[in-house]
Amino acid sequence: MLPRHFRLGGLLPGQSGPAEHCGPSQEPAPALAMFSEQAAPTAQGLLAPPSAEPSTFARAPVSTYTDCTEPFRLGQRSFSRQYAHIYATRLIQMRPMLEERAQHKWGSGITMRKLCELQAGEKCCVVGTLFKSMQLQPSILREISEEHNLLPQPPCTKYIHQSDELILEDELQRIKLEGTIDVQKLVTGTILAIYGSEKDNGKFLVEDHCFADLPRQLPMRGPSTNHFVLLVSGLGLGSGSGESLLSMQLLVDVVTGQLGAEGEQSSAAQITRVILAGNLLSQSTQNRDTINKAKYLTKKTQAASVEAVKMLDEILLQLCTSVPVDVMPGEFDPTNYTLPQQPLHRCMLPLASTYSTLQLVTNPYQAEIDGVRFLGTSGQNISDIFKYSSMDDYLEILEWTLCVGHISPTAPDTLGCYPFYKSDPFIFTDCPHVYFCGNAPLFSSKLLKGRDGQQVLLVTVPDFSATQTACLINLCDLSCQPVSFSGFSADEDEGDMEIGH
Amino acid sequence: MEDELYLDNIDEFVTDQNRVVTYKWLSYTLGVHVNQAKQMLYDYVERKRKESSGAQLHVTYLVAGNLVQNGYICHKVAVVREDKLEAMKSKLATIASVHVYSIQKALLKDSGPLYNTDYDIIKTNLQNCSKFSAIHCAAAVPRTLAEVSQAHTSAQIDSQTPNDLQVASMPVTNGHVPSTAKQASQQPKGIMGMFAAKSSSKSQDTRKETKPESKETTGVSTASSKPPAKGNTMSNFFGKAAMNKLKASSESEQAKEEREVTKPSVPAAEPKLPPTTTVEKPGKKTEPVKIQKKDRKRAKRVDLSDNEEEKEAENLKKKRRRIKQPQSDSSDNEDGPASSISQEDRAPTPSPEPPPKAGLEPASTEVKASTGGKKRKRRRVLKSKTSVDDEGCMVTEKVYESESSGRCHVLIGAEQPTGFPDVKYLAYHLKAVMCKHPRTCYEYRTSASAFPGCNGLDFPPKTGK
Repeated sequence: MLPRHFRLGGLLPGQSGPAEHCGPSQEPAPALAMFSEQAAPTAQGLLAPPSAEPSTFARAPVSTYTDCTEPFRLGQRSFSRQYAHIYATRLIQMRPMLEERAQHKWGSGITMRKLCELQAGEKCCVVGTLFKSMQLQPSILREISEEHNLLPQPPCTKYIHQSDELILEDELQRIKLEGTIDVQKLVTGTILAIYGSEKDNGKFLVEDHCFADLPRQLPMRGPSTNHFVLLVSGLGLGSGSGESLLSMQLLVDVVTGQLGAEGEQSSAAQITRVILAGNLLSQSTQNRDTINKAKYLTKKTQAASVEAVKMLDEILLQLCTSVPVDVMPGEFDPTNYTLPQQPLHRCMLPLASTYSTLQLVTNPYQAEIDGVRFLGTSGQNISDIFKYSSMDDYLEILEWTLCVGHISPTAPDTLGCYPFYKSDPFIFTDCPHVYFCGNAPLFSSKLLKGRDGQQVLLVTVPDFSATQTACLINLCDLSCQPVSFSGFSADEDEGDMEIGH
Repeated sequence: MEDELYLDNIDEFVTDQNRVVTYKWLSYTLGVHVNQAKQMLYDYVERKRKESSGAQLHVTYLVAGNLVQNGYICHKVAVVREDKLEAMKSKLATIASVHVYSIQKALLKDSGPLYNTDYDIIKTNLQNCSKFSAIHCAAAVPRTLAEVSQAHTSAQIDSQTPNDLQVASMPVTNGHVPSTAKQASQQPKGIMGMFAAKSSSKSQDTRKETKPESKETTGVSTASSKPPAKGNTMSNFFGKAAMNKLKASSESEQAKEEREVTKPSVPAAEPKLPPTTTVEKPGKKTEPVKIQKKDRKRAKRVDLSDNEEEKEAENLKKKRRRIKQPQSDSSDNEDGPASSISQEDRAPTPSPEPPPKAGLEPASTEVKASTGGKKRKRRRVLKSKTSVDDEGCMVTEKVYESESSGRCHVLIGAEQPTGFPDVKYLAYHLKAVMCKHPRTCYEYRTSASAFPGCNGLDFPPKTGK
């Protein structure tokens, strides 16, 4: 059982927590309210005259931290290669895993065939890369083709269509798929194994398919006491609207131990790390004025991101003086566009980068914190799959990427990616303990149990500028709790306290 | 007594100055722990309300606790107005903390002013923003510049090595690593050191093609002596490209000298010369001796003290140069006048050394002579040159020619070399007359009448050889 510092009978929240979101083996909901429970006794302690000695708490030190972002760091880059190589290496790397899974699922006696060896009517298993030809997929060639005289397609939320088709490709050939396979759900770039037979019309009739599934997981050597990691994403600085600014200040104050009564401060001292998962700057800082407007209009104007980065520097400075921070870049941040995004340059953050507690890391980010393996992205991979798949829930997509064994299968098709050729770093080599994605519309989390006993905490970190919510993860028992902040505004009603989140 | 002080302070802030006093603002202003500040505020409110119930005080509170939201137990942290406090508390299943957030005279419509107050006070206390906080982090110590740069370079180098994978057959040598290492290591010296070095190299580049002669003219120079190796490599160069390099190097030296040199303020004039003059130089300098001479010249320019020796050497060399000239002249018509000019140019004429310098440019010395005009700017301008090809076709080429963008100079050319001993040449002073025209004036003139038999443009020199 988990250590519990305070047990206040009547004050425990009801068990309507995420119990229903757990996997098959249900555990009684762990003390997610650790944070608050611990603080409760001294809640009203500061409603008193000043005491002589205010207590100060020492930040819980991180016992071990290992940065595992090596595969995602690019040095000298060359874009002279085509993207065919990344698909080839993806297939080569994942083929053994898939063959093993296929034999596990359909029996070891099944015949594994390549597409060029297919015989009509023979039941066999083929491993290949999926390609979904979508009618609505924005194609640059179509856009600029003058023969068609097409208007550029307006951006949609989803590009799926009834007429989409699935095609399986391997090293040499491709074949159309039909049968019991969910065309809408799958996306291009997925490596899978299909079981079925080739029909006379040249298409492959699929009876079943399987994915690589969760890779092996190293046992978790988590801390023995409560250590928390705070995940925030989508700070959205520079947006020009101040709604989330106070909430951001409250967040910083809670983490640095300025806000809250003594109990809460002591709980906050157990936050060992803060991870900022992308989109530190708002989308509105990405104005394209310099491209569209005349030079004389834009000459003396400063890019909006300059002010925003200064603000970011100040916020990071406040955080860094108190807690180790990992900063991941996101879609709107000043770094490269293609995945893997490289860390922000420290020259942009002169105040904060003097502290060794500031870590500028890549997107995707992988690290081992206190014995717990973290892996996460700023959300571009998930939102891209969202656009081209029928799956609607970010948590569902997150889980799906883990089952498929690839962080971002749609790269490089619809999501920009560096043309790797030796190895695809987005393939899961081992199963993380915490797998998160940033900039989701909502907070959600789930403890996923794998076939081989793996346990993964899936977390979708919501966009802070919209939801004012962050995530607190307890490393001791892999539980997760949203933390939301709010100020007050003129239009708040009396009974409307459950506003958004 | 102490207790009363803070009460008075708060009273002053709230009522007299009409501030929004947040706990954080109070903490920084009075220099107290944040928890103490919160308690002070609470105490003040209580007392004030006890004294006069009609006190014009509005208080905002911070409430934190657990709340069930969307099926999750959410830890909520909210700033609420006093009138909403109880409602919020009742919504929370567990209350983790309640304390006073701020006191102000006016009723706040929204939490904007709270944010602004906090933002201002933090901005003024950025360097010690965790001083009064309740949590202290041992790991958060600011690094010194040296450590920062070190960490950065090691991170850079680390990031290079795994990318052999991605970069395949491409050389891993990333031009960034060394340069950033260098930059980083220069950081402690200050960014300015870096910029100064950079700007010097830049100016060298810009002036690269501009003043082939200027290097001659800076006779007085301190410091940097060109390594002799440069001279040796010159022997291999024949083409313009090589010349450019030479120019560049000499220019850089030139620029350096110009910057460092405390040149006597000799009104120096430099003739406007086409860059092709310099092409001649390698042609002339085919002999190692010449190269050495050139090198020496540069060295001489660099080092005033060595002038004595150099003079002799140059005197010897100048003779040889004279002999050489016709050969090179014949081979390269166009560059004839240019080269002579350049040679003359190369005779620097700082005031202490005008005669010997004048003598140094005997050989093909044209009428034109230049005196070191340090501050002149030369520009390389793209011009079209039309010439007739072997096959008789007219070929128009775009060539960079140097143009003086500085003051215009009026030169009085020196006499051509006559084969007389140097003494004679010493007699000729190379004078330059500065024209007071604005910078855009490119004109230069040689006063052909000053010396007989010389029209400043002829090459080979007409006087006997």
